[in-house]
Amino acid sequence: MMMLSRVAERLYWMARYLERAEDTARLTQAYTHMVMDIPAGSEPGWDILVHILDGAPQFGERRVCNEQNVLKFLIADLENPGSIAFCIKAARENVRTTRDVLPEEVWEHVNELYLYSQEYAAVSIGRRNRHHFLEQVITRCQMISGLLLTTLCRDHAYRFIKLGHLLERADMTTRVIDVGAGALLGNERLNEAVDPLIWASLLQSLSAMGTYRRTIGPLVEVNSVVEFVFRDSSLPRSVKFCLDGIRRELGPLKNNTEALKILDRARRSLSRFNPEKAEREDLHRFIDRFQLELNTLGSMISTSWFMPIEA
Amino acid sequence: MDNSWKRYNNKQHGEFFDELITDTGRPRVATRNAVKMLQGLSTEEMAARRAAAELAIREMGISFTIYSEGKNIDRAWPFDIIPRIITAREWQKVSRGLAQRSRALNCFIDDIYNKQKILADGLLPADIVLDSGNYKAQCAGVSPRYGAWAHICGIDLVRDRDGRFYVLEDNLRVPSGVSYMLENREITKRVLPELFENHSILPVDDYPSRLYSTLAALSPREQKRPCIAVLTPGIFNSAYFEHAYLAQGMGAELVEGSDLFVAEDECLYMRTVDGPERVDVVYRRIDDDFLDPEAFREDSTLGVAGMMRAWKRGNVAIANAPGSGVADDKVLYAFVPEMIRYYLGEEPGLASVKTYLCMNEVDRDYVLANLDKLVVKPANESGGYGLMVGPHASPAKRAEFARLIEKNPRNYIAQPTLALSTAPTCIDDTVQPRHLDLRPFILHGKDTWVTPGGLTRVALEEGSLVVNSSQGGGSKDTWIVEGKKK
Repeated sequence: MMMLSRVAERLYWMARYLERAEDTARLTQAYTHMVMDIPAGSEPGWDILVHILDGAPQFGERRVCNEQNVLKFLIADLENPGSIAFCIKAARENVRTTRDVLPEEVWEHVNELYLYSQEYAAVSIGRRNRHHFLEQVITRCQMISGLLLTTLCRDHAYRFIKLGHLLERADMTTRVIDVGAGALLGNERLNEAVDPLIWASLLQSLSAMGTYRRTIGPLVEVNSVVEFVFRDSSLPRSVKFCLDGIRRELGPLKNNTEALKILDRARRSLSRFNPEKAEREDLHRFIDRFQLELNTLGSMISTSWFMPIEA
Repeated sequence: MDNSWKRYNNKQHGEFFDELITDTGRPRVATRNAVKMLQGLSTEEMAARRAAAELAIREMGISFTIYSEGKNIDRAWPFDIIPRIITAREWQKVSRGLAQRSRALNCFIDDIYNKQKILADGLLPADIVLDSGNYKAQCAGVSPRYGAWAHICGIDLVRDRDGRFYVLEDNLRVPSGVSYMLENREITKRVLPELFENHSILPVDDYPSRLYSTLAALSPREQKRPCIAVLTPGIFNSAYFEHAYLAQGMGAELVEGSDLFVAEDECLYMRTVDGPERVDVVYRRIDDDFLDPEAFREDSTLGVAGMMRAWKRGNVAIANAPGSGVADDKVLYAFVPEMIRYYLGEEPGLASVKTYLCMNEVDRDYVLANLDKLVVKPANESGGYGLMVGPHASPAKRAEFARLIEKNPRNYIAQPTLALSTAPTCIDDTVQPRHLDLRPFILHGKDTWVTPGGLTRVALEEGSLVVNSSQGGGSKDTWIVEGKKK
């Protein structure tokens, strides 16, 4: 089955934006819950979310980093390419022009999600409506992913959608860990009582709490969490799982040598990293470097398949 | 009988020909069953059917885009559930006339870009052809396969008071509307299924496969499944829905200019994730001027640089061929009957509307003296833009057109105002007569084929003659019916 580069690119970005919208909603949800759990005075600041999501340049220095401003930035700000509302809009634009290769219902659901976010994003910033809105975004994104998973032929269209989802998810999962590292970084006041709360809520955000308890144990402890979320090959939102999946999808594509090379480099650095020996500082630095590797992979995917050199 | 049809119940000798109802207020023979069934529906039932049609349109995502106030708006397709019905006997004659016309126009285009016999023989003045903006010198000397240039053509027909069909205009560049013809039938099947029990209606849904065969026969390479691409200007074009619909219906690729390139071997390729893929046939839905920045407008970003080179080399077929528009100039319209006699040695099977060419002094004087009775049209516009319907125009508008004509007579023609036929149309809760036209589509390549029926467009405003969807027109399903089912 032949696939136009432009169509492949739009499908890939549709998937990335949907994944980003969902994961941002998950992270925001978890963070909100966490802040509520931690005693006043020792809770981490809202600026962490902006930094972790690389939003500082768009957020600007003039805005005050309070809950209201940060949440508005992450949920409803159409100037912020990382905001949920922006991601949903961008996903819809990509589906609009690729409707002919997708099951009809995909367009309908993405369009409905867009209409929903248009109507509710701006009024869901306060704590009262926030929860419901984020739940809705997560559920609807999941529904679309499920629809794609159960209806798409396993051809190029599926492959590029899968690549988009996995790459974005790998990146967002590292950010979830970074929240943990960042929230606790240089904050010696936070004691061991608070630490598990933070990691537990981050596991929640990955829908991984139950699995963690069953496979690792009931005690939530930083090294085990990092190890689990980075390297458990059976957890669908772990970094390892995503990279393995990317490898499978790259396999059947032509012209994949360079992309595979970069991917394997990232997989090696992941397996070499040892959470046991790493200080929080090291963890944070590792995540930064690792995200750069994922970026390089993204650029290579784009050069290899979306902008082929003319014959 | 429900009183919503009261405008039709006591119909007296009408001012207009009605498609379904005779002047005595009775249904025409072929429409009897359908009209009886529709008249038997209560106002509530009728409203329910209309709501079902609207729902189907939304679900099927049938839309067209209009550009308004700096925004693109996706509008649901306006559809009237009462079908327009034509007998197969009458249609046979019309269909033959359409095929004949399409053949003659193609002969003409091929002649103009090659030997120009018709000009040498003095049948029409050379300057009106060669000075027209639609004549593309870049196409001279090209001989596409089967001598076919306008492979897909939409010919607009109207019925005058006398009940005869007249050709209103030929659309040979990128005629649109065929997807709506197909969707209209789908909607009618959903919302008025019982009508199909009592009629034998010619099916229309094989159009995409007919189009595929027409295009595939043009492929320069001998291949079982040649690579066909539908070239669209993109999502912001008003007919994007149709482009996507036809591409899907043919199993062809829907491409934009940036997806294509011409390589050093002068062949056209698509950029795919597996590398370049050669394209055999382009069904282009962008105008000549934007097709190839090397040959036409340099600033075009919609087209493909080098596509004309590839086409002239015979490495790719383009439908409709570049330059086809030379024959749909409204001045040349007046000469089509002559072309039919000249190229085919036949008498025209379809009547044309009397046309005054403002470039001729005698005609011009007549037009200027009778602006209140005539429709004045610019020679090169389509979509109902820039025309003036004399009887409905203000004196200021008429004065403006008088100035325009005197300034550039070559650019204007005038025709008598036709009494366009009407058909019963749902307006709010009543059924009222509204004017309509008909656009059948003709495929011409190895063979010539005419759609059974076509797209009926209806002016929803009372008394209005403007049927274009961009200007508030709606549409109807069009039936060609054979005698009653046994």
